[in-house]
Formats: sequence, C-alpha cells, structure tokens
Amino acid sequence: MELTLVGLNHKTAPIDLREEIAFAEAALPCALQTLRSEFGFGEALIISTCNRVEILADDSRTRTSSDQIAAFLSHYHGVDLSKFDSHLYFYRKDDLVRHVFRVASSLDSMVPGEAQILGQLKQAYSAAQDAGTIGKLLSRLIPHAFYVAKRVRRETQIGNSCVSVSSVAVELARKIFGELEGQEILLLGAGKMSELAARSLMKAGASRIRVANRTHQKAIEVASTFGGDVARFDELEESMAQSDIIIVSTGADKHIVDRTLVETVLRRRKFSPIFIIDISVPRNVSPEVNEIENAFLYDIDDLQSVVSSHLQERSQEAELGEDIVGYEVTNFARICEGVTVGPLVKSFRQKLESICLEELGKDEKGFTVEDREKVERLFLRAAHRIAHPLIREMKKGDENPNRQFHNLEMIKKAFNLKDPK
Amino acid sequence: MAGLLFNAAFGFYAVGLFHSVVAFVSKRDVFVRIAVISVGIAFAFHTAFLIFSGFEKGSFPLTGLREGLAIFAWVVSLCFLIAYSRYRIKVLGIFFLPLVAAMMLSTVFIKASPIPDILRSSWVYLHTSLMFLAYGMFFGTFIAGLFYLLQERELKSKKPRTFYDQLPSLRTLDDLFLKFLIAGFTFMTLGLIVGIIWAEQNWLNGWLKDPKVIAAMATWGIYLALLYVRLTLGWRGRSVALLGMLGFCSVLFSFLGVAFFGGQHVFR
Repeated sequence: MELTLVGLNHKTAPIDLREEIAFAEAALPCALQTLRSEFGFGEALIISTCNRVEILADDSRTRTSSDQIAAFLSHYHGVDLSKFDSHLYFYRKDDLVRHVFRVASSLDSMVPGEAQILGQLKQAYSAAQDAGTIGKLLSRLIPHAFYVAKRVRRETQIGNSCVSVSSVAVELARKIFGELEGQEILLLGAGKMSELAARSLMKAGASRIRVANRTHQKAIEVASTFGGDVARFDELEESMAQSDIIIVSTGADKHIVDRTLVETVLRRRKFSPIFIIDISVPRNVSPEVNEIENAFLYDIDDLQSVVSSHLQERSQEAELGEDIVGYEVTNFARICEGVTVGPLVKSFRQKLESICLEELGKDEKGFTVEDREKVERLFLRAAHRIAHPLIREMKKGDENPNRQFHNLEMIKKAFNLKDPK
Repeated sequence: MAGLLFNAAFGFYAVGLFHSVVAFVSKRDVFVRIAVISVGIAFAFHTAFLIFSGFEKGSFPLTGLREGLAIFAWVVSLCFLIAYSRYRIKVLGIFFLPLVAAMMLSTVFIKASPIPDILRSSWVYLHTSLMFLAYGMFFGTFIAGLFYLLQERELKSKKPRTFYDQLPSLRTLDDLFLKFLIAGFTFMTLGLIVGIIWAEQNWLNGWLKDPKVIAAMATWGIYLALLYVRLTLGWRGRSVALLGMLGFCSVLFSFLGVAFFGGQHVFR
C-alpha cells in the first residue's frame, strides 16, 4: 500500500482559485471525516494554507485514488472539477516523499525559508490524528518530514536573513545600536511604509517615538496611533538631535535634510551615531549625508537591494537544502524497505530462544525430564527479561528516524538476524 | 616536561586556529565552539608551561625575547578568551589566533638567553609583566578598532556582506574598544611607574635616553590623547578606531623595532 498526493499551490494556481479550494482550520475535522467515510480512505491529511492546498491519502485502490481525491475537492467545495483540474499536480512514490519533504522544509514556499509552513504542517498532522486518519504510512512519512525540515533549518542558513524592508531596517538598526532598548525614533512625515518600519522598530524594542509633520493635525493623528509624542516640524535640528533613528517620508520634492544639518546634529549629539531611513520618493535626504562619519543613510532602494541580496542568499542556501532533501528521500526509502519493527522483534525473540535451547542441549545429560523443563523455563524467562529493555527501545523509535534505523540495523547485525520479509 | 607542555599548548592553538578559519569560511557556529574550547585547553597548557619553565629556571620567565613572546602569546589568548566570553564575536579567532600561533612558533627559533644579574629583581619582573599585559590589551584595542572599521564600511557600502553577519553592532565594538583601551592604559601607566622607580635606583647612565623608554613614552602619549578625545571630547567612530590602530603600531615598534637602536632594553 502506498500514498498519493493531489494538490495545487502558488505556482500552479491563481489566488482566487486557491481561495475557493482552501479549507478553513475549523472545517478540517469534518473534511477528513468525509474523506474517510464517504470516499473510503483509511489515511488522509489535508494541508491548507494561503499558498497551497494539498491532500495526502492512501493509494489502496491504485490508479483511481488521485481521481477520487480530485472528486472530493470538487464535491466538498461545490466547484466544478473542470475549473481547477488543469492546475492540479499529482505525486506518488519517491516524488511524493520528495515533495512533502520540500514543503515541510519550506523549499517549495513562495519565500523560501519562511518559518510558518512547518507549524502549519504540524497543525494539519494533529488535526488528522484527532480525526483518526493517520495510519502506518503517514505516521512514518510526516514525522520524518518534520525531522528533515529541522535538519534543513539547522544545517543551512535558509531562515536566517530578513526578507522585508521593515525587518531589514530593524536588522540594520541593530547592527548600529546593538539592542534597540532606549533608542528614540523620529518619524518625519507619514506614509504606509514608513509607519510600518517605525512599528517594526518599536516592536523590536525602541523606547520612544516622536512624530513631526508639516500639517500639525496629521502629526497628532499619527502620534496617537503609536502612543508617541508630537515634535514641531520647524524645529527639525532640535528633534533630530534627540533621536537615534530618523525615518523620513514627507512627500516634499526636495532635500529637507542636508549635509550641514546632519553635521550640526551630530555635533550636538556628541557624535553618537545616527541612522536615517529615507523612504520618500523623490528622496528627502541628500545622499551626501552618508559620507559623514557616524551618520548612516539608507534610502528605499538601498533597503530593497539588501532585501534582494538576502533573497539571493536564500536561494543559494535552498540548494543546500535540496541536497539534504535528496539524501533523506533515499534514506526514507531504505528505512521503509529495511525496517518493520514487528517482524524484527519476533525474529530477535526467536533467536534468543534458540540460543537458550542450543546451550541447554549441550549439557542436558544429567537432568530428569522435570528438571530439564524447569531449567528451560528459567533460561527462557531470563532471556526474555534481558531482551525486554532492548525491544522496548526498538519499538519506541527516535526523533531522528535515521538513528532508529541504524540502531535496528545494529541489532540485526549483532545477532545475525535475517531480513524479516 | 616544559617542552611537552609547550607542544600541547601549541597543538591546541593550531587546532583552534584551524577551526576558526573553517568556521569563517563555512559560517557554521559549531566550529567556533570547537575553536574556543581548543584555545581554552591550549591556554591551560600554556599557563602550566609558563609556571613550569619558571620553576625550572628558578626565575620569573620574562626577560629574553623568547620568554617575552611566550608571555605575549599568553596575554593575547587571555584577551581572546575574555573578549569571546563577553561578546561572542564569531570571527574573533581568525584575528587573534594567527598572532598567538606565530608568536608561539617563533619562540622555537629563538635561543633562550641567560638573565643578567642586574635584571634579577622583582621590580623588573613586575614592570615587564605589566607592560605585557598592557600590550596584550592594546592588541585587543587594535582588533576592536579594525572590526569597527570593517563593520562601518559594510554599513556605509549599503551592500552588507562578509563581515556584516559575523560582527556585532558598532556600539558593542565601540564598547569593546574602550574597555581594552582603559585596561591597557592602566596597565601601561602602572608598568611605566614601576619601571621608572627601578631605573632611578639602579640605572646609572640616563635611562631617559634609552630608545625603548622614548618609544614607550610616545606610545603612552598616543593612548593618552586617544582617551582624551574619546572620553572628554566624545569623539567616536572611524577616527578613534584609526587612532587606536596607530597606537598599536607604536606598541609594535617599541616592542620589536627598537631592538635595532641599542640601549638597555635590547633582548639578548
């Protein structure tokens, strides 16, 4: 018996279609029940996020299983199959294993390395466990996928860099000031992007925010959403000298912060560094400012280019991740073939018993029949007691499936057990 | 026995250096940990070596260039361990450890020198120890300044790359710089005072004209000026970092260069 996977994602289907096919979290138990009772699947798992909808189920009725799943999607959502048929992808066997590992490791995500997908997969798994649709196959595959995801995260840098403008702004601020506690922000002008950046900086620990705007009323409005103070727009030098991070986006069509101003401000700050983020287009801060010692100026293009270089780094790290996934796919196949704990435990017991009987046979001459039976019972009881902790360990499994596999291999080798087939 | 301890120390330093380089290239933190642990072990052997060879000679092991380098290497690796445990800077190893390894290695090629009787005095031992501690700290200042310049350049270039991830924030580096500077300056001031007191009593013909004394005074002057502009005028950033690095060049000059000009401080 094998698994089959049917799904669509951000690469194969447009968002409105994905929305139509998606399952709300609360609907999962009901949907899984339908798959089980009405469509006759013994095992099933539904992964539904804003970027993908995928259904994993057992392939007991061979070729028709994937059609059944597609039919279920159409039936459940009341969407005509022809509408999304061409957007679906189907996986079986090794390709399926690879796909699931890639999804879990966030290699298949829109932004590779984003951390949410693993959590979503864990939720999907526990929903399926509650619905009773996790059997032998999925209980082996999905935990292995969790393990692969952790390995990829640990052994590559895929999740380590920031890939949005505001998170890059926070990261840069941290590289200048260390911790952001105690840092003060000046928000010059208003705008969606600049407010977003300010919010991220506040969330990262910045202690105070001041807002200055040409229109005083607007400044009061914005300041109130942050719980910050209002600074006077015509006393720029004063408020800049008090702030460590300055976010500028005024909509003016000329430079309102120039070299002389920043130099004066720095002298008043006793040369304590200042970080200026110019989000306005056209720019409001003269590019010369970056040449001043202890002043760090980033405009929106600079931030974007940091973001894109991080994305590039991620795709390089993703290649490393693909290698790990490839290795684990082979490993998983080996584990599935080689190890089924039950038969191995059985042949392990038999082996121990035969050793006992063999040793007993060597030296049983002086025994009466009763004695011999008694000794045999004693021998076997001792053997079972010795074997018991080992068997318990074999059955328990390990967070790392490879390690469990190797442990079992070791026992097989040590006791010269035949492959249970 | 001393030889064995020395080899063990050198071996572990080499392991530490190797793993620092691997950590820098591969960007894997586990190698940083291996490197630091190796240096810790090496440092223990190194300490044992210094104590042991001191007992063997029956004197404080700190008069010739050979012993000087061994002690200097010890101080530098002490600075490394302190700075790492406090700031967890990942690339610290590739800057500190080559110097340590080079100094350890060079002691192998330098002959040990007998100590002239006049220098067998606890004043001299105290003077030299303090000066070496100071020089080690100034090396720390040099590295912190260098890191500051690297990180500042990465930030100014707007294309943060190699060092950006691995170096801490500018504020942390500034803090590290200042701490090493204050420690080094304190040790040096004490060392100079001790040296002058001893020279006044034992050194008959004009110690003030000794080239090494002049160089050390100049070095001290540079660091005094640095402390003044940093603490009193509040200068920060590139200029301060550069001045700190200049100070260390002066240290190197007075430690090694002056040997060519003669005088009482020449290593024999």
